[in-house]
Amino acid sequence: MNRNNPKLMITVFSILVGILIASQMKLNVQLLTPVTVKSIMDTRKEIDAVRNEISELEKIVAQREAELTTLESINTGEVNIIDILKKDVMENRNRAGYTAMEGPGLEIIMYDNIGGGIGLNFNDYIIHDVDIMNIINDLRVAGAEAISINDQRIIASSEVKCGGPIIRVNGKSIGTPFVINAIGDPQLLMAAVNAPGTYGDNLTKIYGIGLQPYVKDKVEVAAYKGSFKFNYAKPMEEGE
Amino acid sequence: MKIKGELVALVVVSLILGLILSIQFKTINQSVGEGVMPTQRAQELANELRKAQGEMESQLRHIQELESKIEQYEKGGIENDIYAENLYKDAMKYRMLAGYTDLVGEGIVLEINDPPVDIQFGEGFSIVDELDLILQVVSVLNAAEAEAISINDQRYTAFTEIVRAGNHIEINGVSTSSPIIIKAVGNPNTLESALSIKWGIVWQLRNYDYIVHLTQEKEVQIPRYRRVKDFIYATPVEETID
Repeated sequence: MNRNNPKLMITVFSILVGILIASQMKLNVQLLTPVTVKSIMDTRKEIDAVRNEISELEKIVAQREAELTTLESINTGEVNIIDILKKDVMENRNRAGYTAMEGPGLEIIMYDNIGGGIGLNFNDYIIHDVDIMNIINDLRVAGAEAISINDQRIIASSEVKCGGPIIRVNGKSIGTPFVINAIGDPQLLMAAVNAPGTYGDNLTKIYGIGLQPYVKDKVEVAAYKGSFKFNYAKPMEEGE
Repeated sequence: MKIKGELVALVVVSLILGLILSIQFKTINQSVGEGVMPTQRAQELANELRKAQGEMESQLRHIQELESKIEQYEKGGIENDIYAENLYKDAMKYRMLAGYTDLVGEGIVLEINDPPVDIQFGEGFSIVDELDLILQVVSVLNAAEAEAISINDQRYTAFTEIVRAGNHIEINGVSTSSPIIIKAVGNPNTLESALSIKWGIVWQLRNYDYIVHLTQEKEVQIPRYRRVKDFIYATPVEETID
């Protein structure tokens, strides 16, 4: 008895302590695991993004409500459905790129590296599709409203692809020098291709590719001349 | 003697237990990461996010209601008037071309996942660092005559910019991040072969260790462009209508 008792006691207590510690740790871990500062920051960013989108949607709501009120006033005879539709057609024609546009903006002339350079390989001398795409993207970031390359309007379905010595845009071949016309705030556009660290700046400084932007009071951007047809896409049915 | 032996055994066991416990705590701290915060804050934020998303959905529904009303008015207005009817068709056509209609049709879905993080070299890289690749995918799709393209549910239009903002990408002013899911409507075979041609863009992506899934689908849904785009600087040149 005297000998057995302490052993038994120790066993029982060890088991107890083991269970206690295990349950305690489980509890703690559950409370702390998933919440780090980073995940909180991520959630906050997501919230900001959603808020941004909501404010955009509010603009659309306002626009639609205005449209609705004009449509409602048809009954009173003040406006005509035909005028409304004509305006709608015009606006979306402009947005889709089917009208020539003019306005203040930038004319950029790009040409291949003529002089050559040290440590450059043949491929680095010439302008690639990626270069043009990046310049276009930068111009869009700066709020360009209409862009064309060598009189080919860049629309949603325009491709820019290298094809040997030329570049294909809208299915047409164009060669150097490339003339990019963009309408928008001239200063912003200028900064987008010219400021240190931008893609355009790197092109000229590192690869010696010619890129000369000129601010102009009046830039003309040609209309899209291709014939684009929807063969596969259909408008989605009402209600999703 | 015997009791002394037992005591020594006990001490050793306790020591080992203590060591194991402290190691365990240290590892938990490391694997969970520094800067552990109380859960409460995270739950608050999650709630806020859910609320904002709810608000967005109700706005979307509101827009849908308004649009169906507008459509009714327009359809009512053009009845028995062939000129107005043609005009209405034209309006729909250009709305579609400008990207202001939800579209559905045959096409492809391309999913680009970031490469797995390399344990040996620490920080992995992300598509966020190489936006060129997304621009190239879009260009290839357009060359293959895609009729509509969306990137993470943002319609690609003539005004769509793709720009890096910290660890995120902003497309149409909305921030998203990887995985990038690019959807395109068009001839699925042409689109797929244009992307997956040898040395093509998908090959290139896989070469950089991105995890790429390319599938053809019968019903690809492309959402409309959700921004109001007004021209401030550009004005249409006097028309020479063809």
